[in-house]
Amino acid sequence: MKRWIFALCLSAVLVCAFSVAFAVNLIVWSSPDNADALYELAQNFMQKNPEVKIEITPLSWEVLYPRILQDLTSSAGSFDVTTWDLMTAGAIAPGMLDLEAFVKEHPELVDPNFDDEDFIPTAKYVYGYWRDKRIGYPFYGAAMFFFYRRDLFNDSALQEKFKAQYGRDLTVPKTWQEAKEVAKFFTKKFNPDSPTEYGIALMFPRTHTLFYMYLNFFGPYRRSPEGIAKFGKVDLDWGDYFTAQGEPAFSSEEGVKALQDMIDLMQYAPDPLGSDYGETLEAFGKGMVAMVPQWTACLASWKESPNLQPFEDKVGVAVMPGGTPVSGGWGLGINLASKNKEAAFRFIQYATSKEGDKIQWLKYRIGPTRKSVVEDPEVLADSPWLKEAYVPSLDGASHRPRIPEEPRLEDILVGTLSEVLLGQQPNTLETLETVAREWKKVLGK
Amino acid sequence: MSWLKSTVKGVLVALVLFFFLFPVYWLVTTAFKKSEEWFTWPPTFWPSSWTLGNFLGLEGGFFGSVTTAITTITPYLRNSIVVALFVALLSTVISALAAYAISRFKVGGMQLVSWIISVRMLPPIASALPLYVIFSRLGLINTWWALILSHLVITTPFSTWILITFFNEIPRELDEAAFVDGAGVWQSFFTVILPLTSPGLAAVATLAFIQSWGEFLLSLVLTTGKEAQTLPLYLGRFITGWRIAWGPLSAAGLVTMLPVVVFSLLAQRYLVRGLTFGAVKG
Amino acid sequence: MPPFTKTESMKIKRRFKTVGFVMLIPLFSVLLGLTLYPFGYMVYMSFFRYSLASWERPQFIGLGNYRDILSDRTATSSVDFTLLLLAVAVPLEIVLGLLIAFLLRDTFGERVFRSAILIPMMVPAVVAGIAWKMLYNFEFGPANYFLSLLGSPKVSWLGTQLFSRLGVILVDVWQWTPFVFLVLYAGLQSIPRDVVEAGLVDGASGFSAMRYIELPLLRPLLFVVLIIRVIDALKIFDIVYMVTFGGPGSSTHSYSFYIYKVGVSFGWDVGYASALSVLLLVAVALLTNLLIRTLRLKETLEL
Repeated sequence: MKRWIFALCLSAVLVCAFSVAFAVNLIVWSSPDNADALYELAQNFMQKNPEVKIEITPLSWEVLYPRILQDLTSSAGSFDVTTWDLMTAGAIAPGMLDLEAFVKEHPELVDPNFDDEDFIPTAKYVYGYWRDKRIGYPFYGAAMFFFYRRDLFNDSALQEKFKAQYGRDLTVPKTWQEAKEVAKFFTKKFNPDSPTEYGIALMFPRTHTLFYMYLNFFGPYRRSPEGIAKFGKVDLDWGDYFTAQGEPAFSSEEGVKALQDMIDLMQYAPDPLGSDYGETLEAFGKGMVAMVPQWTACLASWKESPNLQPFEDKVGVAVMPGGTPVSGGWGLGINLASKNKEAAFRFIQYATSKEGDKIQWLKYRIGPTRKSVVEDPEVLADSPWLKEAYVPSLDGASHRPRIPEEPRLEDILVGTLSEVLLGQQPNTLETLETVAREWKKVLGK
Repeated sequence: MSWLKSTVKGVLVALVLFFFLFPVYWLVTTAFKKSEEWFTWPPTFWPSSWTLGNFLGLEGGFFGSVTTAITTITPYLRNSIVVALFVALLSTVISALAAYAISRFKVGGMQLVSWIISVRMLPPIASALPLYVIFSRLGLINTWWALILSHLVITTPFSTWILITFFNEIPRELDEAAFVDGAGVWQSFFTVILPLTSPGLAAVATLAFIQSWGEFLLSLVLTTGKEAQTLPLYLGRFITGWRIAWGPLSAAGLVTMLPVVVFSLLAQRYLVRGLTFGAVKG
Repeated sequence: MPPFTKTESMKIKRRFKTVGFVMLIPLFSVLLGLTLYPFGYMVYMSFFRYSLASWERPQFIGLGNYRDILSDRTATSSVDFTLLLLAVAVPLEIVLGLLIAFLLRDTFGERVFRSAILIPMMVPAVVAGIAWKMLYNFEFGPANYFLSLLGSPKVSWLGTQLFSRLGVILVDVWQWTPFVFLVLYAGLQSIPRDVVEAGLVDGASGFSAMRYIELPLLRPLLFVVLIIRVIDALKIFDIVYMVTFGGPGSSTHSYSFYIYKVGVSFGWDVGYASALSVLLLVAVALLTNLLIRTLRLKETLEL
């Protein structure tokens, strides 16, 4: 036992000594979603820059944000680079390095091929800026998509049956109203002939997932002409939950309608309240449902699914019904307290370069943030729908608030939304207004 | 009718065992399952092919090896071992001294014991934030000492309580005989009394080890990296924003669970004595 | 034993007391140092509005946090759930532990069974949480599979308030019944056989022997186990974190878990979390004091 401990300690010492031999040691924190891609990008970078050693530390999503905040506020500098979730922009901004100022001070570090203008405009702002400070380069562009069983929608027998029942063609739904009808058609409970058990896989669990899923439904109302007239244009920092003046917008008739759409769809989904990403991914992967609103990372997993072969025939990608899918994604930024800012900068520059963006999409399905990558011939050959569905989705995406109070607001609303979905509270304006009042209290209004 | 009684008894015992062992069995087998079998209907109770893929990062599908291999678990294992061992050792020494004083010299009486037990009431979350403040001022964040000290707060009250009952069992005449023979109090404590209570000491050491090993919340708040983080924290990396890599997670869970379970099974006798406050000799 | 003179006795007694105090120093320094400051800090910060995410200095707001707690629906619901856990899980654990102790004694291979039953207690709570989270999976989990064998439809363990609460309670029972079992089983074994046999000879049946002889003798251990379980159940965190993360809604928010959410997840809202913690501490202190008194712990410890 003693010998074993000694051996362990010895190897630990050796590892430490080994790492000291490198001139620069970069610690990169990331959510597990990004860790694998970052690891490969880091390998590539280290090959070209052997004096830098990069270590990728995945932290569970739940823990990443509090830990980043903890480090930034205490200037502990435990990490050099981190991926930050876009909603946390406001909270972490004061502790992150101002990239524009840094670039001015170190023009020699800038890669001439970086092409800052290449970024998709929404991505550049939402995954990079907080108010006027640039705290990150866009790393992971994401909007939710609507995935469906192309083979079923193309099946003539099903098309006939649908037309007979609903009087219109079986098409991929463009509105949630259409989605309800199609979902019912594909749910065995309501249609014994349905090829799938359920029509749609939904994830409405009591986590931040519900907060962003709601926007898929509220967005269409918020961004409709009536919505814009009533609430004003969407501010990219306040997001779709708020009016242009920063007042809660969801506590309205439109908010109630959005919630009702969700309630109506729940009966066509397997355990929506208990499902999160993993469950809906499995549901679609195993052929249990005909449609699912989801993020792009699923695709890689579905490519290996035995139930979804041949892949091109069975899996279709469309823009979210309603046209305002919620945005996700991550920026890559540098700790203000980092002792290795130059090396860190060179790394994030590489990771978000054209080459980096392309690798992360092709191999890891991490959404591209650059126009050139979306139009790259190799990428187009691999995923043609990127150009058709991805850019419009990102451009039309609805956004969550990126202000510091976001986690608290999220939690307050999700609690109530969840209770309404559970049937414990009525779906009325009053219910939503109670939440709005609590929001205002948190925001100090 | 005693065969009926025995059968009923047998069935009940089997049910009880099944209930308590099945979740562990499920975790262990999932650690060796290929990804297709993590979730099937009906559930895969016996893997059709056992694989080490979850340990080596081969079962993540398109996920790379960073989030599906547990090969980076070594520092965390090291940290857990070091912290738990130190906590066990220090906890035993500290609580033995205190328990002896309380048992023999009635220092403080019931008030003291009440206070000590009340410390156990402190929910870890309440002390986590202020401890973070203290430790960061002392520069102890993300070090073993931060964990050892904070775990001591958790383990010593219970250990002291248990040892008090152990010391109560030792007749006072033995102490006094030792004093009379010219031994100082300290000497008699170490050479006479302690050896007699060694089963009790082993008991509290074992309990302290187990509690420290599985501690999650304080480690979450007080450590930030692999230099000091313990095994329970390593598990988080398989919980991606959305998907959970069940196989590797189970593999990591297995590694987290194995040492402490094996250790406790081996030290069972002491455990039993300790938990029953010396009532049973194991 | 040689007799001491009066002065010798007194000198020895004084020396003992000094040594006694010295022996207590390590424990004291650890506990005082690491609990007094947290306690003080907690009480102090509870009167401030302070959250790391706002990057502002703490602002004094008097009883503001406490007033917010009163109107905080999640806080009240977490109190409800914690009390529910206490009222359901703890008695269940004690009763089951007792029954299993009676069941298992004098059984062939009891050593093996005892070892096996110990395991849930040894498994770190977070690992147990992972295992149960898999079991509770709606579509593919073994829990629903076994239910289906009994003819019941699939239960949404993680998606409904009722079942998620039951689910957490079940995991807690799974984890801690072995502890109760162990203590009581050992206690049963330490009861001298002749006491029981005397009773049986006097005409008592097996069951009455259990009720009137063994249970009363087990009482001190039962009380100890009760105190320990009550204190620990009020602090439950790891299981909730892993299995349900407090959901759905705030159904399975234990009080400790809510403090975590507020104090960590929401960007370290230290002020509000401190206020919540102060309330928890007051409640637990009152409760345990009550328990210690009622169960006459003083006697058990010969103080």
